[in-house]
Amino acid sequence: MKSLEELTPRQDRIEKKNSGLFAKFAGVILLVIVVIVLFRTLGNASLFFYPVDEAVEKRVELEDRRFRVIGTPQPGIIETTLSGRQVLVFTLCTGDIYADVVHEGDPAELFNPGVPVVLQGVWREVKPPSIEKLLYSPNDGWHIETDSMVVKHDNDYRSDRAELESCSSE
Amino acid sequence: MTSSITTASKGSKILGLTSLVGFVVLVLLAFFVTDPDIRFHPETGEEFGQFDAVRLLYLHVPLIAVTYLAFVVCAIASAGYLVKRTFWWDSMAHAAGEVGTLTCALVLITGSIWGRPVWNTWWEWGDVRVMSTLILFLLFLGYLALRGAFVSPQRAARPAAIVALIAVLDIPLINRSVEWWENRTLHQKSTLSELKIEDLTLFTLMLGILVALLVMSWLILHRFRVAWLEHAEFEQGIKTAIEERRQIDNED
Repeated sequence: MKSLEELTPRQDRIEKKNSGLFAKFAGVILLVIVVIVLFRTLGNASLFFYPVDEAVEKRVELEDRRFRVIGTPQPGIIETTLSGRQVLVFTLCTGDIYADVVHEGDPAELFNPGVPVVLQGVWREVKPPSIEKLLYSPNDGWHIETDSMVVKHDNDYRSDRAELESCSSE
Repeated sequence: MTSSITTASKGSKILGLTSLVGFVVLVLLAFFVTDPDIRFHPETGEEFGQFDAVRLLYLHVPLIAVTYLAFVVCAIASAGYLVKRTFWWDSMAHAAGEVGTLTCALVLITGSIWGRPVWNTWWEWGDVRVMSTLILFLLFLGYLALRGAFVSPQRAARPAAIVALIAVLDIPLINRSVEWWENRTLHQKSTLSELKIEDLTLFTLMLGILVALLVMSWLILHRFRVAWLEHAEFEQGIKTAIEERRQIDNED
């Protein structure tokens, strides 16, 4: 006995078969993309991101490795030049641990004291420029040299609230 | 003579019209009536906040809410199909999966547009919520590809149902990622659960979710009816093919 599929018009069968092959091919491509995405996510996961206290604690261990650090910029952000390059110098904190930062490149649009940022860069065992102007500098002879900045904004949408991250109050 | 087959009914027309009116009101509230997010620094007095970028909240959050819901409907209908093995459950799963994939794509697009001014980046590969949402989108894109990979739609139903039930497990991962991997995401914690939203901002967000629900329901309803017609056409095609072959056999 013939199956129902064998009774369908010839032209339709050819078209259906082709579309089926295409969909299988698309499925394989998608699977490859999912694997790449997973690989990239897991690869970056270890990089993403230390709070300031942890970054300070692992300063020696991190050596010249690039890492990401999250913290709250403190008031007293200085615009200055370093070796002819325009940089921002400020202090970042998590809890009661502070670290100085020298950031090269355009800051994020929402960059402001009290708004947490995620920075990417390396530790340098050098005092940052204009350190005497920093209000909250730990002045420990180190700074993080960064060139990438993203913002982690809060979840507060009440217009009259200014619940900024304050290190001293934590 | 032209055919008058339509997927619309009186109920779906009312639903569509309500969705349209709701969407217009939402756009007016979100983009013209609500205030931008501006706060003042308690120490420096400087302005900060998301400013006008906050208006994307009223689109992005409702879209993710209905994406979750559509995929959950897809999973429930898939489970229903595996138990009952009827075309109704399979069509519902297909319709919800298709609409969910569409809204999931919009979630990724609106998130990217929102991320540029607020996060300072269009895309963040290391963000667990962004990545798990992208994976959800790719899984359901694969689900739809799988459905199209079979000659007979009925043969696709069972494997597709299994894929949907596996893919939907990504949703709790996405939802809880901001709690579980706080230092691996730029996404903030839940605003609604901590009630850090109020007045017109809260109302507009709730309206956005309601409108998104109405639009999603309208789309699923019509997609379901289209699938039903496609099924009828497929069945009819088989009957016609049998008739044609019988005629040929008789002529021989």
